[in-house]
Amino acid sequence: MAPVEIHNLSKRFGHVVAVKDLSFDIEAGRVTGFLGPNGAGKSTTLRALLGLVRPTAGTATFGGRNYEELEQPSTQVGAVLEDTAFHPGRTARNHLRVLAQTGEHPPQRVDDVLAQVGLTEAADRRAGGFSMGMRQRLAIAGALLGDPEVLILDEPTNGLDPPGIRWMRDMVREQAGRGRAVLISSHLLAEVAQSVDDVVVIAGGELRAQGTLEHVLGGDDVPVTVVRAQDNARLAKALTSTGHAVQPDGDGLVVVGSTPEQVGVVAGDAGIYLVGLAQRSRSLEQAFFELTADGKSL
Amino acid sequence: MTTLLGAELLKLRTTRTFVTLVALALGLSLLVVVLTLLLADEMAPDQLRNLFTADFTGLFILLLGVIGMAGEWRHKTITGTVLAAPDRLRLLTAKALSYAAAGAVLSFIVTVSIMLVGSVILSLSGDDGVPFSDLLDVLWRNLLVAALLGALGVTIGALVRNQIVAIVGLLILSFVLEPALYGLVPEVGRFSPLLGAPSAISDVPPFDGDSDELLAPVIGVLVMLGWIGLFFAAAGARLRRGDLV
Repeated sequence: MAPVEIHNLSKRFGHVVAVKDLSFDIEAGRVTGFLGPNGAGKSTTLRALLGLVRPTAGTATFGGRNYEELEQPSTQVGAVLEDTAFHPGRTARNHLRVLAQTGEHPPQRVDDVLAQVGLTEAADRRAGGFSMGMRQRLAIAGALLGDPEVLILDEPTNGLDPPGIRWMRDMVREQAGRGRAVLISSHLLAEVAQSVDDVVVIAGGELRAQGTLEHVLGGDDVPVTVVRAQDNARLAKALTSTGHAVQPDGDGLVVVGSTPEQVGVVAGDAGIYLVGLAQRSRSLEQAFFELTADGKSL
Repeated sequence: MTTLLGAELLKLRTTRTFVTLVALALGLSLLVVVLTLLLADEMAPDQLRNLFTADFTGLFILLLGVIGMAGEWRHKTITGTVLAAPDRLRLLTAKALSYAAAGAVLSFIVTVSIMLVGSVILSLSGDDGVPFSDLLDVLWRNLLVAALLGALGVTIGALVRNQIVAIVGLLILSFVLEPALYGLVPEVGRFSPLLGAPSAISDVPPFDGDSDELLAPVIGVLVMLGWIGLFFAAAGARLRRGDLV
């Protein structure tokens, strides 16, 4: 049984469908990137998993059990949500003392996690005066208090400076190295690409792809052709009608999954004059964009 | 439950709100007692006894309960709180019990301070003090009222969630609506949660009125528990069913 299992999860807020029939698992000892543009349904999925929102249909469980059913949940799941907040008048140390008391963790864990996230010096400062990066570190310290089996981080690099982002990458790799299952959501592929093993890509509340980073996003495996014609609209129509994926790109077109030769043949058959034709290497970011663009599920 | 209760009490102790409210309640209560004793010509034993019940703890602990619970939404800490304690009804129970305990502690500090200062002033002016048995009677009644109001504040805060709306609403209820109701229709007003029932437990009629209009203290306690139960049920249902987004 996987540490995190999401099966046919749907969530509707009034008339808005935030998540639609979403299913995926994450594995222990691996870092899984949960990727999608803003508004894709990532946070709603994580909140359903953590029992904060009630699914309209489907299940989201830890080892087959709902979050509310876990005994001492902070020893099994540590979570940092995007809007994690603190009482502005409470010090970092006292914030963690409250969490340690609630989760029945030994008081010395507070100092351990403060050191782990590099906040020992700021431990007795009020959280209201913390920078965004320090707040993120404090939130992560709270998630690590119970040394949980599963770590869930929602947009964890928000507000972090480059050394902070590097620290975050090292931290999640270290957690996965210890056999923990780590799920990181992000709308910025570049910020997590270096630290994830697997990716789950969603857009519009629906699953677009799942697998290893290389398998899902492909990198240079998929040909991309940039083409300009005297009549771009006619060429786009001809390419689309022959099954090619076309997107406008400046004063030309981008054809994903097709070689220049294939595009040239279509243009020739349609009697369309080309004024430019070249192959473009496909970056991970571009692949991610293509995967999450409306109507482009793979 | 003990763990959750301990965590909620730790939350209370680790911000300045509780200390500030203790200081305000103590300061205001002492001011009223000292000025009354120094400026009044002569007071009957009943008036003296009633004066020692006139602490401001009830109002302050009520507001503290509202601030403590509604503040979870104001500061957006409710998500973290529910993640740490996923059983939302247990969480609400722990919060209500912790503010009941805080109310009792706050009331103990204020009431004993009032009694000490008041007794010293009476002794210096050569007047008879209030018998010890009467002081003890006042003390337990004050503690009970404060504890019940602390729990009531939490349940109201959990139901309303908007701190400002809850506080302004309670102040209007406390200073305008309930006194008006009690004055106009005492047989209904004596069941009210902020004036009628607490007055019955304190055994001090509002507006120097007739004690016969008050409920029996035991009934007052039951009425207060009924109000707490009502708000707890409504807040619990909202908390349990609602999404935390």
